[in-house]
Amino acid sequence: MSRATTNPGGSADRPPDQQPMIVLEGVSKTYPGHLTPAVAEVDLAVARGSIVMLVGPSGCGKTTTLKMMNRLIEPTTGRILLDGEDVTKVNADQLRRRIGYVIQQVGLFPHFTVGQNIGVVPRMLGWERRRIRQRIDELLELVGLPPGEFRDRYPRQLSGGQQQRVGVARALAADPPVMLMDEPFGAIDPITRERLHDQFLEIQRTVRKTICFVTHDLQEAIKLGDHIAIFAAGGRIAQYDTPEMILSRPANDFVREFVGSGAAVRRLHLIALSTLALDKIATGSSATAGAHPVIEVDGSGRPVAWIRVPGVDGSPALATVPLSGSVYDAVDAMLDAHSSAVAVVDGDGRAVGALRWEALVGELQMRGRHR
Amino acid sequence: MDLISYLRENAGTVLLYGEQHLLVVFFAIALGSTISIGFALLVTPGEAAPQRWSLDWILGAIRDGALLVTAAALTVPSLALLVLLLPLFGLGAATTVTALTIYSLYSVLRNSVAGLSSVDAGVLESAKGLGMGRLRRLIRVQLPLAWPVILNGIRVATLIDVAIAAVAALVRGPGLGQLVLTGLSRYGAANAFNQVLVGTLGCLVVAAVFEIFYAIVERLTVPRGIRV
Repeated sequence: MSRATTNPGGSADRPPDQQPMIVLEGVSKTYPGHLTPAVAEVDLAVARGSIVMLVGPSGCGKTTTLKMMNRLIEPTTGRILLDGEDVTKVNADQLRRRIGYVIQQVGLFPHFTVGQNIGVVPRMLGWERRRIRQRIDELLELVGLPPGEFRDRYPRQLSGGQQQRVGVARALAADPPVMLMDEPFGAIDPITRERLHDQFLEIQRTVRKTICFVTHDLQEAIKLGDHIAIFAAGGRIAQYDTPEMILSRPANDFVREFVGSGAAVRRLHLIALSTLALDKIATGSSATAGAHPVIEVDGSGRPVAWIRVPGVDGSPALATVPLSGSVYDAVDAMLDAHSSAVAVVDGDGRAVGALRWEALVGELQMRGRHR
Repeated sequence: MDLISYLRENAGTVLLYGEQHLLVVFFAIALGSTISIGFALLVTPGEAAPQRWSLDWILGAIRDGALLVTAAALTVPSLALLVLLLPLFGLGAATTVTALTIYSLYSVLRNSVAGLSSVDAGVLESAKGLGMGRLRRLIRVQLPLAWPVILNGIRVATLIDVAIAAVAALVRGPGLGQLVLTGLSRYGAANAFNQVLVGTLGCLVVAAVFEIFYAIVERLTVPRGIRV
């Protein structure tokens, strides 16, 4: 198999802020006593401020690759550059304090309060107490845990989702430019995980870290990643590309098989509703005959029921989907309500438009042609 | 003479013996615990996954060896050990404290090793991933988390030592054993039985004092987040 990798960061000779943050050059790891390498000749460049998802079946070397970046595992051969600096040339502990690290088991210190857990790295770096306290509150706000309520709690008093948010806050404490995350949401129930994903993306919009994220869940990778590196057995990268390209142009049979049959449906995750031209909606009071769907709204503008949808006999069941969602969410809502139309609502629940099945299919056809 | 009037007449002596008993055990436990905990810290790898298999293997062998030796020492009859130590330390407190220290090693060592190595792998990995060095991980993370288990080992060792300290009277060791031994040697004479009885009950009181002491220590030193 050839190394089907494209480097979003590219080569040197670029302005410093466009140089990739993390570069792996021909990195291999063979564990003592093993004949075959766990990671073989991996090249990878991670652009500044982007999220790269390392995905693959178990035992494909994705976690090993991640742990070599902060030297929890030492590579057998190859170079790993962090911001242009060879990581094997610096003190491992000092290096790790500059890299956020989040793992599936969270690993909060049970004998420390939430605040003390978050303050671990700043304390090691010798920050002033007042600055540490400020930073703890700031981070608790950021991950959505009110500091007054959570700062002095102990980890065992938190739910799994709350613990992992503290884990993320702890990793962000000293404002490291790079975060390594090893299946951080793997042990969390699907509903909470969805919520954590949204929150994670929102946090990332504020902090703009360079993130390497290991998962075995392609769905998660598509949702969170700017780029995805698909690992094949034997520790090689089978394809490194954007989620779009991985889903629409798998580089080889392995990726095609890994992506599986649902690729077209999965791709719907990638189309934000806000990028679609939605049908205008007429509200119940101004219900004149016309081409627009007509909806009945309550006093605050929230939709109550369809009055009429063009091209549909009778009035279908009402389904709503937030504007911040994806086409996948919209289709899901339609199927769930057995309706061929869905009302799109804004953050306050007010109807802002409608999406009809025929219009959607037409739009997707157009996009397909333009690709 | 009944027990009460015997006690009333000899309160000073009994208290003195009790105090000696307490101190002799305290010093032995302090010494033995320091040795055992220190040793356990030295031979604990402090890694979630061993970095070098050879090192892990060697540390494991040292650990198991030490446990074996201290367990064997615990099976030596106290009388024999005290007599064996006589040529080295002579009659009195030195031999007593030495013997009691030896008897305290096993249970503290075993609990220290168990406590330190039972620390959750995820906690250790995140500690390392956050940039804590080996020493910091041991002192800041592993030791506090293992402490309740270690403290239980110290408690058991204390109970063993309170009982064995009584036997040390045979080598002129200080403590309540003196009463028991005197009573035994004059068995049948006036107050002989009372002496044995007071010596025995005294040991119970000393053990109770230690238990109260440890309850307070536990309250003060076990971090709130892991208290059950």
